[in-house]
Amino acid sequence: MKPLSLPARNALLALLITLAIIGSIVYAINYLDQQRLAELSAIQNQLATDTLSLETQFALLESAPCEDIASGTEFSREVSDLGDRLGIAEGRAGNRDPQVLQLKKQYTLLQIRDYLLTKKLSSSCGLKPVTALYFYSNDPQACTTCDKAGYALSYLRQTYPTLRVYSFDYDLDLSALKTLIAVEKIKPQFPAFVIQDKVSYGFTHLDDFQKLFPKALFKSATSTATTTKK
Amino acid sequence: MDFSATYFAYPFIFLGLYFEVFMLLTFLSDPARRRRYRAVSTETPNVAIIVPCWNEETTIDGTVRSLLALDYPKDKLKIVLVNDGSTDNTKAVMDAYVGNPQITVIHKANGGKHSAINIGIESAGDAEFIGCLDADSFVATDALREIIASFEDPRVASVTPAMSVFEPKSLLERMQNAEYIFGIALRHTLSAVNGIYVTPGPFSFYRKSVLNEIGGFRHAYQAEDMEMALRIQKAGYEIDNAVRARVYTKVPKTVPKLIKQRTRWTTGFLRNVLTDYRGLVGNPKYGVLGLMVLPLGFVAVLGGVSLFGIAFFMIIREIVHVFSLSAGVPLSYSLMPRFSIEWFYAALSFVTVIGFVVTTISIFFMMVGRRVSNTDSGLVIGIIGYVFVYGLIAPFWLIRSIYDVATGVERAWR
Repeated sequence: MKPLSLPARNALLALLITLAIIGSIVYAINYLDQQRLAELSAIQNQLATDTLSLETQFALLESAPCEDIASGTEFSREVSDLGDRLGIAEGRAGNRDPQVLQLKKQYTLLQIRDYLLTKKLSSSCGLKPVTALYFYSNDPQACTTCDKAGYALSYLRQTYPTLRVYSFDYDLDLSALKTLIAVEKIKPQFPAFVIQDKVSYGFTHLDDFQKLFPKALFKSATSTATTTKK
Repeated sequence: MDFSATYFAYPFIFLGLYFEVFMLLTFLSDPARRRRYRAVSTETPNVAIIVPCWNEETTIDGTVRSLLALDYPKDKLKIVLVNDGSTDNTKAVMDAYVGNPQITVIHKANGGKHSAINIGIESAGDAEFIGCLDADSFVATDALREIIASFEDPRVASVTPAMSVFEPKSLLERMQNAEYIFGIALRHTLSAVNGIYVTPGPFSFYRKSVLNEIGGFRHAYQAEDMEMALRIQKAGYEIDNAVRARVYTKVPKTVPKLIKQRTRWTTGFLRNVLTDYRGLVGNPKYGVLGLMVLPLGFVAVLGGVSLFGIAFFMIIREIVHVFSLSAGVPLSYSLMPRFSIEWFYAALSFVTVIGFVVTTISIFFMMVGRRVSNTDSGLVIGIIGYVFVYGLIAPFWLIRSIYDVATGVERAWR
């Protein structure tokens, strides 16, 4: 058999090496994505422990729960951080990825717990945090203004850090979420908000939206914030 | 991210990476290595160097002086200065050399660069090798001996030099210098597999007997150097590269002038290859030139325009998206960049990683080009400009070239 000429040999070798480089990059990117999801799981597990710990602490300190408010604030910050990471994972893997869906359910549970704890702390300690529950749908047909609403909420929570935003995918198959929807009497109209215990629907403009919040919020300067999805 | 748009970029990215890997392997091969370590010639055949000139009153004197300073026997080196109907003071500068036994001065009516070179060839006398040197370029003293060494193989009809930019100062000049030095490495590597498709105006040499056989220079859509190279290849000869034959050339100092120059080069490539030399493209008879260099030349033009189009489309879409979302959210919030370690990881996509690999290999070739040619030139600023700015300018001449070729527009040289 006639040996290959130098150009032919190099062309063939170059093809193999190029495919190997591309394969390695694809593998590395996928590996990193998996690592990121695994990291999310670890954070989630940690948060689940923290939740239990906080609730236990709360029960122990029932007589003076307000002394440990700092723990609750830290917890909210971690939930917010988790939400940001989950948002990126959802963007990379897609919102139908089974692992992402599972993480999203756990995250939703954490948000509900944080919301309940916040309410409990505020009633026990005389605090008045401004909270906003935001219900969206990933179906663009069902919600044409969810993108705008989510963007406006992101802006508000970064500009006014005392605002706590909890965002929920209305269609997520999670019994606790369905219960929250039932308790708050949220109809399948999007976007839906519960701001200071008042339910409202639709989003048009930031100026109109801001009227739903107490004026005191816009004079505040310090902060805790959770995340805003969608 | 728009996945359909990025998928469109994948074939171009794959071919770009493939070509670079091929070049790396060829660079490391024996034929390339032999060329790198080739000894300077002790032979001194008769040589004529033609300097075609049109309105180069400020640079022609330096060009001639650099030729006179070449380390080569004076009785073996003839210099032919051809004034192609200059309208500035070029004639007077040239006439100062009348009487120099090495130099022949010719004045003629303007007829284009190819006609000036052809008249010079007629005056070359008994020269065995004919060189050309643009009147805005300057040679290193040992360049000619390096060139002559490459003609040892009788199949070699032409030899190209190692071109870089003369005293680059501005960012634009430094960027071009980085690109030229990249070109030194590529031309050196391609010469090992006879894949060179252009014999540039600054200090390319030709075997006179081959010119007699295949004919003189043609107008060739203002790309006479490319056409000549393709004609040499078509005739079955080889084009070599003398990687240490250093020549320094002046380059456009403004972006519009650069775009004009590159439009001329790109349209010259497209028009020549689409007309008289179409038979070379994809033809296994012409090896790497036919199967890789020329087809990838088209891919580079289309890819450059397409990738720019995709990037432009995605940026515009993102801006429109942000504005459509704003609904009263202040612009300062929308435009404020928000970075975090998570965003950094999120940006680690297939396209960015492979783009990084391709860029790294390109930078490697630039450093190699400087080293193997012994070019004494700073590269850091040039590389930074080349990586981050060049890609924003290049699409303009690529788009303009495609437009010119499609509509038949022909532009002036300058």
